[in-house]
Amino acid sequence: MIEFDLLRVGDVPEAKDKENLVKDLELGKILDAVAQKDELIRGVWSHVLLLSGADVESIRYRQEAVKDAIQNRDVVVELYRFTGDVITRTERAAFLVTYDNPELVVLETAAGMRVMIDAFKDLKGILSRASFSSQAFQGLVNTIRENVDENFIASAKELLSFFDIRNNTLEFSVKLGAHNTLVDPVVLAPKKEGGVIRKLFNRESAYEFRLDPHDERGAEILGDIRKWVLAGLAPTMLNAYEHLLQFFKTLNEQLAFFVGAINLYDLFQRLGLPLAYPELSEGTLSFRDLHCLSLAISLNRRPVPNSLETRNVSAFIITGANRGGKTTFLRSVGQAILLARAGVFVPASRLALPSAGAPHTHFQREEERTMSYGKFEEEVIRFRKLVDLVRPGDFVLMNESFSTTNQVEASEVAKQVVSALVDSGVTVFYVTFLQDFIHHFVKEYGDRVVLLTPERLKDGTRTFRLVRGSVQPGYALDIWDKLFKRESSAAKAL
Amino acid sequence: MDDILGKEKDQLLADIFKEPLTDKEVIAFRQRVFEDLIDERAYTIVRGFVESIKEVSRLLSLEAEVYEEFKYGLHIDAALTYVNALEATLNLLRGLNVKSEGIASFISYLEGLVQGKEFQALKGLAYEAKAARDKIKVRVSVDGNRVRVTGDGGEDLSSRVEQLFSRFKGQQVRQIRFTGSREQTTHVHAMILRGIYMIFKEEFNVMRRLRDEFPNILDEGVKNFAKEFEFYIKYIEYMRDIESKGYKFSIPQFTEDGSIHVKGFYSMLLARRGTAVTNDIHASGDRRVFIITGVNGGGKTTFAITFGQLAFLASIGVPVPAEEAKVPLFSNIITAFPIEEDRLESLSRLEEDIVRAVNILKTADSRTLVIVNELFSATTSDEGFELARRFVSEIASRGSYLIYVTFITKIATLENVISLVAQVQDGRPTFKIVEGGPPSSYMAVQIAARHRLLYEDVRGHVGR
Repeated sequence: MIEFDLLRVGDVPEAKDKENLVKDLELGKILDAVAQKDELIRGVWSHVLLLSGADVESIRYRQEAVKDAIQNRDVVVELYRFTGDVITRTERAAFLVTYDNPELVVLETAAGMRVMIDAFKDLKGILSRASFSSQAFQGLVNTIRENVDENFIASAKELLSFFDIRNNTLEFSVKLGAHNTLVDPVVLAPKKEGGVIRKLFNRESAYEFRLDPHDERGAEILGDIRKWVLAGLAPTMLNAYEHLLQFFKTLNEQLAFFVGAINLYDLFQRLGLPLAYPELSEGTLSFRDLHCLSLAISLNRRPVPNSLETRNVSAFIITGANRGGKTTFLRSVGQAILLARAGVFVPASRLALPSAGAPHTHFQREEERTMSYGKFEEEVIRFRKLVDLVRPGDFVLMNESFSTTNQVEASEVAKQVVSALVDSGVTVFYVTFLQDFIHHFVKEYGDRVVLLTPERLKDGTRTFRLVRGSVQPGYALDIWDKLFKRESSAAKAL
Repeated sequence: MDDILGKEKDQLLADIFKEPLTDKEVIAFRQRVFEDLIDERAYTIVRGFVESIKEVSRLLSLEAEVYEEFKYGLHIDAALTYVNALEATLNLLRGLNVKSEGIASFISYLEGLVQGKEFQALKGLAYEAKAARDKIKVRVSVDGNRVRVTGDGGEDLSSRVEQLFSRFKGQQVRQIRFTGSREQTTHVHAMILRGIYMIFKEEFNVMRRLRDEFPNILDEGVKNFAKEFEFYIKYIEYMRDIESKGYKFSIPQFTEDGSIHVKGFYSMLLARRGTAVTNDIHASGDRRVFIITGVNGGGKTTFAITFGQLAFLASIGVPVPAEEAKVPLFSNIITAFPIEEDRLESLSRLEEDIVRAVNILKTADSRTLVIVNELFSATTSDEGFELARRFVSEIASRGSYLIYVTFITKIATLENVISLVAQVQDGRPTFKIVEGGPPSSYMAVQIAARHRLLYEDVRGHVGR
């Protein structure tokens, strides 16, 4: 049995909240950059990035394979192109528009299979030029070597030669069923002269007839009988064809992931982004020079990175003036978690995550920026749905959640929600202005909370970098400043 | 009969209502058979028997239509179906505790038949022929218009393909639907079959013997039983369908004192759609005239028709659509419903009604059920009332039963009649018909009140 798996994603479903993730974390930009207009790459990447579950082992497996693919990038890219080409040529050779004529199904699938069987020789040639070191790619090389030998190729070619359009003889066995009608037709291999098989079940007598050449109806019926007989073989042929094709398609699809990784690698090089393979280390959430990838792609240069060193911190409260890089920070964290789970490198010089849990986002939407109990109720409903998806070890990224009602009420809800998440083993990143909540929460959770605010230099310039803050100063003044400025500019306008 | 069937034609009911009313003995015989067959096991067995016998007949009649080569095969299947059906039916029925004379006599008939020499010989040969057929396997090779049949075997190409490519794993097996014509008994098939018979000579001889020795297979008595049972099976099937919607059937009892006690009866046609409402009807036997009044669309006619159906079904010995039914055994059911065509002038319609009424009175006796709907309505209500009074009095003097649907409420105030009224709740009909005085306020008036269009409302507005 040919078995290989370059990705180890299994049949894990995609995250149920993937649409929010794509939107909130600007994944579209990353996928575009990775895919370079190749839809297959985009599809595979989107799938692997948005898996609902990923275990440590499969992440390490993919990391190793990604490193290997970058090491052997020429062969990987060539394999990808070659397998894609085999699929195209096969589908052209096997012209299967309908499946209602079993005779055509048999002939067309045989034609397609000939293309694929012939392709194995070249495939093996390309593989022999690489020196793979990862378990994933070595497994691929081994399984092909073991299963697709000269013997198999020769047997397959012989077998496929029976299903040639020029060969008009059809041999089959039948039994008698209800009403003495012919039943259970089985297509038989052509007889080899003097073969052993014919001795097994030999009855001397034979009966032969020819249809009258004018018997058009009879000829039609014989045609029907051929189809009837081949209807038994056609599904077998179709399945063999599809399984063979599936091999090339699966290989092609899995290779697409690595070609995408190679594209991303080139992008990092071009933008001068640092590159690190994330580590998983319980209790640690640390990174150095973490960049927001989507912002880098938009700007087409390196944006301002952030760094953080924490142990046993469960909640990151981000607060402070707008346009200070809070949302960008949130995105950079979410993107990094997704890339880490996919087994890909991240735009940082170092990244350690406490678990392989999934990120979830709850970003306040533009249309929610009005205050009403109706809106608040909608928001609560949306958040409730999100909570159904969250598991211990996961990350919840909240951007101004619960700001559709007044601060006091909202703080109480936020406190209850965030405390519940943290106590369930979830890591929370929360961009918020909810004063009451921040005070209460920091007081209650102490060392398990880190407060981050946009850095402001002494002369007032913003760096778009987040730094650790403390509860008291800054925030309220910011607001006051903001309000004051607004008031005064309004006064000036008057 | 059309009146009782209602506007929606239902084939089974239409057929059943062609049954002639019958005497007590036949009714009791049928009721006992139904009692046995209402048991799910007995029903399944007998239904299986009926279906098998039909299948045997079908196979035998098919023999006339096919090429000689196929007749032998059809005969094997007919014989096997027949043998198995009889044996299985007998074995299964013996295991049940049947009480009816009808089924007991069927069992003893089958016993005699199955133990007989002829049946045993048929069975032996049928199995022999089947075994011979199962043994046959040939190799056919088709090359252009040349066909060759031999007794050789060969290597199955499908399994070779499967085996060789099994190293490529894949999803589940895809099925291809073969859409071409699939005749199996053409002259070409017959020629191949002829070849097969020539190669498997001994086997063919057994098949031929079966046909020569047992050309008819089906016993006449068995055929008759199957035909009789078919009626029961069809009726029970019909019942089951209605029961599945939550309605009940019961085997009716016949009263000697002329009383009527029916609980929870309903229209089968409506019940099949799950929309029937159940009603009760009671009478001690001294008063036998029911006058039904109440809102239009309140279920008056349905009530009358449904009771007529029930009375009829009871009289032919089948279970009735009611929770419980005690009724007199009617010897005659007569109806007079409005004539649909209004081509008839009102005078001639009234005349026609009177003619019908008089005709009814000619034959009505104490075992007659008369159902009339808006009789004498093509005139003033005073005149209609007067005609009705006379008709009712005549009916009463004969001791006949009468259900009279009318919008002339005054008729309900006649002496010695039972007044039934279609009920309304919250302005909507409930389709319940209940004993009581005729309604004093009408639906149309209530609606007018709700929309403030009664006298005081209109006065109050106009007055301003």
